Amino acid sequence: MVALVITLALFFDFTNGFHDTANAMATPIATGAIKPKTAVALAAVLNLVGAFLSTEVAKTVSGGIIREGSDGIQITPAIIFAGLMGAILWNMITWLKGLPSSSSHALFGGLIGAAIAGIGLHSVNFASVLQKVLLPAVFAPVIAAAVAYVCTRLAYALTSRHDPETGSKLTQKRGGFRTGQIFTSSLVALAHGTNDAQKTMGIITLVLISAGSQEPGSGPQFWVIAACALAIAIGTYSGGWRIIRTMGSGLTDVKPAQGFAAETSTAAAILASSHLGFALSTTHVASGSVIGSGMGRRGTTVRWGTAGKIVTGWLFTLPAAGIVGALTALLVSTGTVGFIIAAVAGTAAVIFMFFASRKSHVGHHNAVEVEEAGQAIRFAKKKAAAVSRTNNSKDGRK
Amino acid sequence: MKWLELVQVAGATLAAAVTVTVLYALGVRLTAIAGDARTTQPGWVRPLSYVCFALCGVAVLFGLYLIIPYFSK
Repeated sequence: MVALVITLALFFDFTNGFHDTANAMATPIATGAIKPKTAVALAAVLNLVGAFLSTEVAKTVSGGIIREGSDGIQITPAIIFAGLMGAILWNMITWLKGLPSSSSHALFGGLIGAAIAGIGLHSVNFASVLQKVLLPAVFAPVIAAAVAYVCTRLAYALTSRHDPETGSKLTQKRGGFRTGQIFTSSLVALAHGTNDAQKTMGIITLVLISAGSQEPGSGPQFWVIAACALAIAIGTYSGGWRIIRTMGSGLTDVKPAQGFAAETSTAAAILASSHLGFALSTTHVASGSVIGSGMGRRGTTVRWGTAGKIVTGWLFTLPAAGIVGALTALLVSTGTVGFIIAAVAGTAAVIFMFFASRKSHVGHHNAVEVEEAGQAIRFAKKKAAAVSRTNNSKDGRK
Repeated sequence: MKWLELVQVAGATLAAAVTVTVLYALGVRLTAIAGDARTTQPGWVRPLSYVCFALCGVAVLFGLYLIIPYFSK
């Protein structure tokens, strides 16, 4: 049972890396700063390294959300299994429907839902959920957007060159930012490793605690850290082919200076939050930065309709995954038969997802989750291009 | 409530991102000036741009140094 849940958790970690490679490495590949193969390998290595950097988020997941051990409430591996199933199934549904969603929030939602259904309301530490998951989920993208806005403004102001006598514009020569993007996107990959790999570490630690093989309140063990780091790195590396295939369909309309500012803000926000144990969604923060830096560029307006749609998708994830997790928990609590049904359904879903992903057309709409945020910004001069891009993505979704 | 921690995150994000962006942008600008063919520039422009890039790198490494628990213990 414990081994099964750990395997499932590691698989979740793998898919996480698989999905998010594009978030970090899409822009430098698009601007030609770095070769796709190199970028993917770099992202994988940095995810691996990042996973070893900190364990604060893992402690939040394993110790903060569900009250375990000492309070007399026993969380069982079965509940965690139900939570993971909820997360994986919800991820699959959103992925098939092309809805923007955060795998981290699906994970928390599934876990909370399963705990409520399987144990009861009192098993969830709502104060900690509010402080460490919900508040950061709301504020981190806003902070990232504001910082990205300021940085984009600064980057453009500092490098805008005018002839001192005539006042006419000189060549701006902002090509240096393209090289800089190699480093900033590497930082984003590193930050992704620190935050997202730790969520799985937290889950596995929670399983070990609930199975009684680890002290409540202690941090993840070394082999858990290593396994999660490897899983996310392998996931990142195998997610690479999606990026390479995406390059043909044209990516976000992001200038190097803008991308540099956005990526710096993303990395800074995620690393700072990870350090304090805030478990946030990398995708949300990256989307916030993209919107913020888009606003910082001159001649842009925000498509609030699209932005609103993204936010609605975010709000929806936690409760929806919670419901799926709760249903799985109820199924599992009926006994061995229920557990087997859930396990078979989950495995079938995962296998189906795998084969569907091989068949499906990979366009920028499903390979780059942040692309959605990029479309929330309208560039005045490139209105026609933007409109045609929106239409393309609509067609792709049908 | 952990509002203080939230403010900390916001502050740290702003400080870190602005530092890195400003230093890098200055470096880019100085490189651009040094590369101007039409006018002759003083000899310190290009070295200064390297200093900016180096400081930017140092800022990033310092940020990582602060985060990694291994160093702070």
